[in-house]
Amino acid sequence: MTTTVEVLGFARGPDWLPWAVQYFFLIGVSCAAFFLSLPGLVWRLPRWRMPSRLALLAALISGLTAPVALMADLHQPGRFINFYLHPNFGSWMAWGSFFIPLYVGSLLLYAWLCLRPTLERLARQGGRLEAAYRLVAYGGHDSPRAIGLAALSASLGACLLLLYTGMETMVVSARVLWNSPLVPLVFLSTAFVGGIGMTLLVAALSGRRDVAPALNRGLALALAATFVLLAAWFGGALSGHSPVAAQAWSALASSRPWGPTGLWFLGTAVFTLWLAVRFPRSLWPTALLALHGAWLLRWIVFIGGQGIPRMGNTWFDYSIGIGPDGLLGIAGSLGLALFLYIVLTGLIPWDERAEA
Amino acid sequence: MTCPPDPSRRAFLSAIPALTAGIATPAQAADAQATQWGMLIDTRRCIACQACTMACAMENATPEGAFRTVVATYAVTTTEGSTGLSVVPRLCNHCEKPPCVEVCPVGATFKQDNGAVLVDGDRCVGCAYCVQACPYDARFVNHDTGKADKCTFCSHRVEAGLLPACVETCVGGARIFGDLNNPDSEIAKRIKSAGDGVRVLKPEANTRPNVFYIGLDPALAGRVDGISAADMMWRPDHHGG
Ligand code: SF4
Ligand code: SF4
Repeated sequence: MTTTVEVLGFARGPDWLPWAVQYFFLIGVSCAAFFLSLPGLVWRLPRWRMPSRLALLAALISGLTAPVALMADLHQPGRFINFYLHPNFGSWMAWGSFFIPLYVGSLLLYAWLCLRPTLERLARQGGRLEAAYRLVAYGGHDSPRAIGLAALSASLGACLLLLYTGMETMVVSARVLWNSPLVPLVFLSTAFVGGIGMTLLVAALSGRRDVAPALNRGLALALAATFVLLAAWFGGALSGHSPVAAQAWSALASSRPWGPTGLWFLGTAVFTLWLAVRFPRSLWPTALLALHGAWLLRWIVFIGGQGIPRMGNTWFDYSIGIGPDGLLGIAGSLGLALFLYIVLTGLIPWDERAEA
Repeated sequence: MTCPPDPSRRAFLSAIPALTAGIATPAQAADAQATQWGMLIDTRRCIACQACTMACAMENATPEGAFRTVVATYAVTTTEGSTGLSVVPRLCNHCEKPPCVEVCPVGATFKQDNGAVLVDGDRCVGCAYCVQACPYDARFVNHDTGKADKCTFCSHRVEAGLLPACVETCVGGARIFGDLNNPDSEIAKRIKSAGDGVRVLKPEANTRPNVFYIGLDPALAGRVDGISAADMMWRPDHHGG
């Protein structure tokens, strides 16, 4: 047998940086959390009223942070206008630049319509912000029809975003880990893992343990769906039915950092599922573990996927830096999310107990 | 008068009198529309000196650690136990069906009529989608400019009637540049005479490269199964290396 040693190889580092991971994570979380807001706020199911309100808060926080992370991943952020001046509609990314404002704009409209009665109540309570609340409440009407229409538009935006983020990744045949029809589906199922995780986190911060059982049930379902999809991917890889998956699997399994990272992901995901089923009232642990799982999957797909050599056999030795392209970027987007949480919860009572 | 694009450094030197006679016109082909630039790399002539790598870096002022062309080098040991050196000089293949062009969301990456795949630096937003789509790792985001960067076949030189810097500097005359559509060009003649011995990188990617190889070990034409002498290897400090 011939043996080959690459004595001089040229590995390229990732050009989609941790910012991209943050974007794909946050936008998925937001879309999924938005869908969780529908049963209580659009269909007005009484037992979903509270979880849905918290889900709307989760959708807003992550939905407003995500585009910032995306802009930061552009190496020429000031030129984002070119997406609208020179769109190439043969590219999924070009479509995405239209889906993002559709979704974020509709989400803001939907949130405003849902919150108008609350804002009017706040105006009536008086205080320094009375005039501002009155202005923004714009009469304070509860308009189920308008809410329904805004929800429809945001649902369309969310579906298109979930579609394009998956497709944009899947069509890259040059990346063996990305080029699988299962990728959009795994992104979808783990978006729900993350969206439920973010809603659980908001509930934990508000001390609303009563909403945990419904959310943990949903989390268990989303995790189960993820395991089925991952099993299908592994099945294709190990049986040889999917040569691309087989290549990706053999590359990752033999890689020193990514093999253990994959095992860690699987182990913690199984533990999260067990926790969600066994302790349905748990809030903090399932919230943090769900968010960790949804994020880590995207980290493995994007950063690990970019590391698999396309030519030769040299892996890029990626280590996360502390600068804006690394830890600072991750911390910055989480900081923005925290800031939005503080502002939104400071100005609006999301917990009905506080409103009463 | 037309002069077919020059095949290699030596042939180019022999053409200098003609060029200096004031006919260093850009395309140097009878029908500019029909010109299809391509490159042929005869790996048997490559001695892995990396002169092309350096010449390209100097000519195109690529940032430290980022290269438009490289010469990947392998030690291949046969079943009989003999070990030899194999090389794969790599650059953008200026593909006939370039996936990098398809994915660019703003149409900044485009294919010229003469076959060269280029980036419009004024339009590029630096999203790096093209970098992901290229099966050959031929692109990177230039962290000095914030834009996609890659081999241009030295279009600025070719337009001035010069050869790409890598071709001009190649010590072994392994790189031959010219018009694939001109049957009298050196590249077209050599490709024709090599017959089945001509290969491209990753033919299964269906990109139809315009960079051709003679003497290329098919096992080295894409992702390579083998050991990476990682500790001996040059590794970039920056993204895009
Ligand atoms: S080699 Fe890569 S960058 Fe060059 S044209 Fe082909 S796909 Fe595009
Ligand atoms: S980095 Fe520039 S050339 Fe590449 S896809 Fe993005 S906009 Fe197009």
